Amino acid sequence: MKQQLNIVVNGEPHELFIEPKTLLVQVLREHLGLTGTHQACDSSSCAACTVVVDGMAVKSCSILALQVNGREVTTVEGLAQGKNLHPIQQAFIDNWAFQCGFCTSGQIMATKALLDENADPTREEIQAQLDGHLCRCTGYNMINEAVRDAAKRLKARKDLESQKWLQTAKSGKGAK
Amino acid sequence: MKEFSIIGKPTPNVDGPAKVTGEAQYTIDMTLPHMLYGKLLRSPYPHAKILSIDTSEAEKLQGVKAVITGKDTPGGKWGLWRRFRELSDQQALATDKVRFIGDPVAAVAATSEEIAEKALDLIEVDYEPLPAVFDPIEAIKDDAPMVHEDFPSNINATRHIEWGDVDDAFAKADYVREDRFVLEAAHPCAMEVHSSLASYDKGTGRLTIWTSTGSPYFVQQNLAEALKMREGDIRVIKPHVGGHYGGKNSTMPDAVNAAILSMKTGRPVKVVFNRDEEFTTTEHRTAQHMALKLGMKKNGEIVAFEVKAMTNGGAYTGLGATTLYLTGTFITMPYKIPNYRYDGVRTYTNIVWGTSIRGFGAVPGKYCSETQLDRAAKDLGVDPLEIRRINAVAPGYTAPGQYTFESCGIQPCIEKMAVRVKEKWPAIEKDEGIGYCGFAYMSGGIFNWIDTPYAYSSAHIKVNWDGTVDLYSQAADVGQGHNTVAAMICAEELGIGIEDIRLHMGDTAHAYTDLGAWGSRETLMNGNAIKDAASQVKQKLIDIARLKLGENIAYDLVARNKRIFLELRPERGLSYYDLVKDAIRQNDGVPLTGTGHYTPHNKGMISPAYGMGIMAIKAKVDRETGHVTARDVLVVHDSGQIINPLGARGQVEGSIHMGLGYGLCEEMPMDQGMLLNPEFVDYKILRTRDMPEIEILDVPTYEPNGPFGAKEAAEATIAPTAPALANAVYQACGAEFFSNVLKPEKVLKAIRAQEAKNNAASQAKE
Amino acid sequence: MKTITTDFNYLAAKTAEEALDLLCEHKDDDYRIIAGGQSLATAMKHRLIAPEYILDIKGVSDLDYIRFDEQEGLKIGALATHRAVEKSPIVREKYGVLCEMEENVASVETRNWGTLMGDLCNADPAVDPAPPLIVLDAKITVASKGEERKVPAEEFAVDFFETTVQPGEMATEIRVPPLPPNSGVHFMKYSQIHGDYALASAAVLITLDGSKEQCVNARIALGGVGTTPIRAKKAEETLKGKKITDEVLAEAAAVASEETSPISGIEASAEYKKDLAGTLVKRVGKEALERARRA
Repeated sequence: MKQQLNIVVNGEPHELFIEPKTLLVQVLREHLGLTGTHQACDSSSCAACTVVVDGMAVKSCSILALQVNGREVTTVEGLAQGKNLHPIQQAFIDNWAFQCGFCTSGQIMATKALLDENADPTREEIQAQLDGHLCRCTGYNMINEAVRDAAKRLKARKDLESQKWLQTAKSGKGAK
Repeated sequence: MKEFSIIGKPTPNVDGPAKVTGEAQYTIDMTLPHMLYGKLLRSPYPHAKILSIDTSEAEKLQGVKAVITGKDTPGGKWGLWRRFRELSDQQALATDKVRFIGDPVAAVAATSEEIAEKALDLIEVDYEPLPAVFDPIEAIKDDAPMVHEDFPSNINATRHIEWGDVDDAFAKADYVREDRFVLEAAHPCAMEVHSSLASYDKGTGRLTIWTSTGSPYFVQQNLAEALKMREGDIRVIKPHVGGHYGGKNSTMPDAVNAAILSMKTGRPVKVVFNRDEEFTTTEHRTAQHMALKLGMKKNGEIVAFEVKAMTNGGAYTGLGATTLYLTGTFITMPYKIPNYRYDGVRTYTNIVWGTSIRGFGAVPGKYCSETQLDRAAKDLGVDPLEIRRINAVAPGYTAPGQYTFESCGIQPCIEKMAVRVKEKWPAIEKDEGIGYCGFAYMSGGIFNWIDTPYAYSSAHIKVNWDGTVDLYSQAADVGQGHNTVAAMICAEELGIGIEDIRLHMGDTAHAYTDLGAWGSRETLMNGNAIKDAASQVKQKLIDIARLKLGENIAYDLVARNKRIFLELRPERGLSYYDLVKDAIRQNDGVPLTGTGHYTPHNKGMISPAYGMGIMAIKAKVDRETGHVTARDVLVVHDSGQIINPLGARGQVEGSIHMGLGYGLCEEMPMDQGMLLNPEFVDYKILRTRDMPEIEILDVPTYEPNGPFGAKEAAEATIAPTAPALANAVYQACGAEFFSNVLKPEKVLKAIRAQEAKNNAASQAKE
Repeated sequence: MKTITTDFNYLAAKTAEEALDLLCEHKDDDYRIIAGGQSLATAMKHRLIAPEYILDIKGVSDLDYIRFDEQEGLKIGALATHRAVEKSPIVREKYGVLCEMEENVASVETRNWGTLMGDLCNADPAVDPAPPLIVLDAKITVASKGEERKVPAEEFAVDFFETTVQPGEMATEIRVPPLPPNSGVHFMKYSQIHGDYALASAAVLITLDGSKEQCVNARIALGGVGTTPIRAKKAEETLKGKKITDEVLAEAAAVASEETSPISGIEASAEYKKDLAGTLVKRVGKEALERARRA
């Protein structure tokens, strides 16, 4: 018997009616057409299907969609702002952190969750966060470098924003 | 080395934005209106007659639109070894019998995957199990069950390679040793499983199929045979591919049955394997037995080498016969072997078949030859790096009747390695060792087993009024980064930017044949074709520029930075964009085009060019658990002119990952033909914390046969990884192995055996 | 790719009381409790289990807690995720071994959604949390409507993938008593691939006397070497009352090894796992001793 599911995906609310056996990954890929999240295994071993739920990186293939009722989900499609790639995405490109790209969205979402929690991770912390992710193309080292680079870029962006805020505050403009 | 605008500079992946945003469509992601889902019913027996199949209950299930068995297929047989027609042994669905656990016997198309799966459960198959054979040594016995009755025996292919006088050389050698090895099967493990989406148009009788493949051309050929259609009525499109590594060359039942189901239903049909199907029914790296006999002078110089291989081919040929051949050639590289003999036998057995996985035959052979080399070095008291230096080839080296190295940097690679190892690892810890392995690998293959009448690579470019370039080729980017290399080569030749180029790759409708991504062929072969096409256009622009500039005929014009100008007087030139407009005006309004092609001629039997080098691995052994840690890897590599350093590094590191897996933990244990570990939970591949640091040093050479001097850059590094690791363990603690996969239990046993040997030896002394 | 194809009736509870009511109501039905569901999803995809009812307790927030007090020790509610335990400052401070264990459980993604209790209830003999909880003398509260019983951690799993939890019951809390003074505890698992399922694992707790010379108590628990996690009681006896040296540890290791009854698998034989268990006891015991000395 179908049940109602209310979730916000990439900022957009959705109301769906699904069989309870439906996994979160099926809701994303099949019901919402967000095929950026991939599946590479049937044993919860590869983390390719990783998305972010309420700030946590989770495996969407191993979660009943109804458990995510009322929560917020971010997928890889939710990172870029129009044509502007997220710094993590740009770092992955500039550091050749993917080849076939099939596991990439999972790696990127796990990176997003990591950097939201820990803005300056060490190499060990990066590896600990991404250890669940199988990649057959890269050998992982270039991915770790991309994540370090992403952390730097996010910090630079944050510093720039702080500077802008400071300037605005000093100039008295925009104060209400 | 020459300085280029684009070639040799780190260039981000042209498919980058698509891949990092989730926009990139892989076959598994694709849907079409009215699409059905296809699933295959597979044999539970390794060898059995099919007595009857009853699909009536399955057909009644609501949502099922078609159920087919062998008799419902066009019945064409296919294979990649079309040069020898009897080796076209694959079929869409088994007809009289099944030959391995997983051989498909029926297929269903339904409105959902779930319904298709349920329908499979309702199909009744009556099998008569037959005796089965799983090992090549058993398969060649007289009383062995026959896997293919229309063959005289279970011998699928043989290969003999010989030069010099091996027996005489052994008789005269100072030192001879013989070793036997058993090499395990391994799976390519592409993250995207085999997927195909077929759409047959009943009105035109034409088929379009999107499929996760490394060679749209191969798929087109095979489908034409399987479906008894004309090639030209079949369009194969390769979308983004989630990994290949040689496991997606052959056309598999997913593609063929998707097509047949689409023909039957008149609707698009998508077939996607489960991960366990991927492990159990798709091509893997061939398991084999090998025997090596090595003859040397006292100083470590090789005088004779004899190799025998018996490979576990499995139920069909695939590219396994080519792999058999290449095992016998790569094993000799990069050393001078004055006298050589190879006898390879590939047998049919009742398991899923082995084929052309990354390394294409180099991997098992090099494991044996290079671990044997270390033991020989020890016996003769020669340093392991020195023994490789002594035997390393020089430019121009020819293995009679087989191959010649034109660009050949192995000796400077070894010299550079010797210096760098001392700097990098001046001291090693207890239970640590450094292991070496030399290697060389093809840049695309020469032997035409596919029996194509076409040039091996072709490309077409069209330059539009605004200077944008459309580049067409069937060449396949499967993740290795060929799209980026293609754009770079085209842009460099025309003197423009990558942003000016639009790629149309991997689609047989574009008719510019390329044999696909295997044997590291795309950069050299497709690259040559692209450069050829671009140079034709460049010449047209140069001709017009020469006319307009009115310069002395002696001056050369070059294309760079979006201008055509005098090489010696750069200020005298014209804009590329203006010249394009002139050219189109002059050509009666027809856009500029160039069609290039490349087929190697008179370049021996294997390849026109070879990447090569030497690898060193520092590893540590835990004597109590048997755990081997690869701590650090150093590669010194001659890849000619590297086109994209980012892509080349990515390939080397990926090769090392797969090579370490081959050497440490990847295996395919079977019980009576049933794979025991068909999921990633049990088939172990290395994770991020298991990977060592990797340093790659470059010894650039210029390869005359490649575009801008380029040749293979990186598949070569998979073969040396496992042997270098095994050698590191040998150097660390003397433990010897005669099989790959250094699982902790195996290592512990070997360490204890070695310790017992040492204790016995020291007791004997007392 | 595989999905769950068998249908089931889905029931969700928002409180512990609701959950126990539902369990009472359905105790004769074919049901499964799902919290994080990390193991359940895979099992169902492979059609290893196909329950008629799924009782979802993921939303039972009144069981999602980690509390500590000096008298009663640590209390971990059934819905506390692996990640919450891993990141809990109080667990890090008082029972650091549990955080160390959590850092290597599966992957961050699994730990973010899966619960520590759910892992114990799955009862894989190699499950990581069992050995450290056993040596810490943890007790697991098993509740049903109107009743409660406390089960010592080492009695919780009764066989392969089977626990003492009966139909109508649910495990609600793990209680870890305060560590005895002068104690040190360590846990280690071995797998060839980092973070993988353990081939074998060992936890050792050592309590020293006031002079920090003699061992007054030792607890050793092993994972992956039997049908359930086991206590190596004979090995414990070899440590008690002794001044622990490398030789004493080696003897304990050998005895512990003999107490195991592992099963041969694809990755390794039973003999190797026996051997490995001994090696782990030796190494883990040495570190536990160091920690006891520093305590």
